[in-house]
Amino acid sequence: MSVRLLALIPVAVAINLALSAAVDAVGLPLFLDTTGTILVTALAGPVVGITTGALTSAVNSLRNPTFWPFVLVQVIVALYAWVAARGGWFRSFKTAVPAGLALGVIASAASTPISYLIFKCATTGGIALTTKLGQLLGLSPLGACFFGSFISDFGDKAVTFALVTSVLHALPRRTAARFPLAWRAVGRAGV
Amino acid sequence: MRALHPFTLIAIAVALPALAWILPAPWGGVGTVVMAAALLLLPGGGSTVQAARAALLTAAPFWFFLFLLHGPGGAVDTGLRLTTMIGSSVWLIAALPPPRLVEAMVARGWPVSVAFLLSSTLSAVPALRLRAARLVEAQRSRGLRTRGGPLIRLAALRALALPLVLSALHEVDERALALETRGLAPGIRRTPLAPPPDSPLQQLARWGVVLGCVAALVWRIV
Repeated sequence: MSVRLLALIPVAVAINLALSAAVDAVGLPLFLDTTGTILVTALAGPVVGITTGALTSAVNSLRNPTFWPFVLVQVIVALYAWVAARGGWFRSFKTAVPAGLALGVIASAASTPISYLIFKCATTGGIALTTKLGQLLGLSPLGACFFGSFISDFGDKAVTFALVTSVLHALPRRTAARFPLAWRAVGRAGV
Repeated sequence: MRALHPFTLIAIAVALPALAWILPAPWGGVGTVVMAAALLLLPGGGSTVQAARAALLTAAPFWFFLFLLHGPGGAVDTGLRLTTMIGSSVWLIAALPPPRLVEAMVARGWPVSVAFLLSSTLSAVPALRLRAARLVEAQRSRGLRTRGGPLIRLAALRALALPLVLSALHEVDERALALETRGLAPGIRRTPLAPPPDSPLQQLARWGVVLGCVAALVWRIV
């Protein structure tokens, strides 16, 4: 791994964890805690993305150790972002938002067994409350758990993909030139 | 406890939650919670009162939501396991400063890039969080509306997040240059300045902890 990529990973982890300040300021029910993972995967490939995801889970676990079991979700997000970048799905909001919505479904499907088996679905406040709502709607325990994860992940990943698309399109040419994969992610391969 | 080798501290902190899940509930969980509480509260455990309070505050919402979702009967087993996990992790963080862990990793021959990633991330996160808070204040002082309908809030989110992410990416080149001038390159080995002392007894204890967990798992399966 080159020195530039080594320098990129801590920055990407910090992006994952610092965007909560922006989310708090606007009061939207989002996490955006995979923005850095998706962004670096589009810029530098899956190995950097997976490393960023794993490191994000590790650093998050220092604050709250219950984040650690969800490292698998970060890995899945990085792999999916790699597919999205290779497919040029970040070329516009029209392609990025549906791709983000699909990731929301995949991420909730991946996090549900972890949440169910380890935490009995009592993870963060919002997810636990929507899980309770799922129970009240008559869903099975696993179904209610998926419902809780899905409600929180669905919109979050769509907004995250839209944000990464904005960043990739706003990258200065000098910066983008250092990460040639970024051109492919925005559908400008060979520029 | 602080004097123990970092790998020994990690072995203890990982073994306790592992045993909490492996041993039969609720008594296995009760035992591991008592051990985690002892590490947090007893003098010499390497922890502080603030750390014990942080563990309590982190665990409390889980108990609340477990009661809400599963009632008292269903909450105790998972609550005890989660409390063990939280207690042992908070204790580990209080007892093990990250630079000491990095020194131990380097001394054991881990690539310096791994040690760099760990230490650099721990310093980058609070710095970017601070910048994010300043950016929110700056944009608000320029008249950015952060309240209103969902579209207004999403537009505000873009106005806050985009400069933050772009400024962070802009730093990567500077960081890479600084690392290159300091001789950090893949495959390079560094000599640790103050490697934490290890002993055969501690190495034996670490293996004992691992074997104990494996034995408990085999006992549960068979």
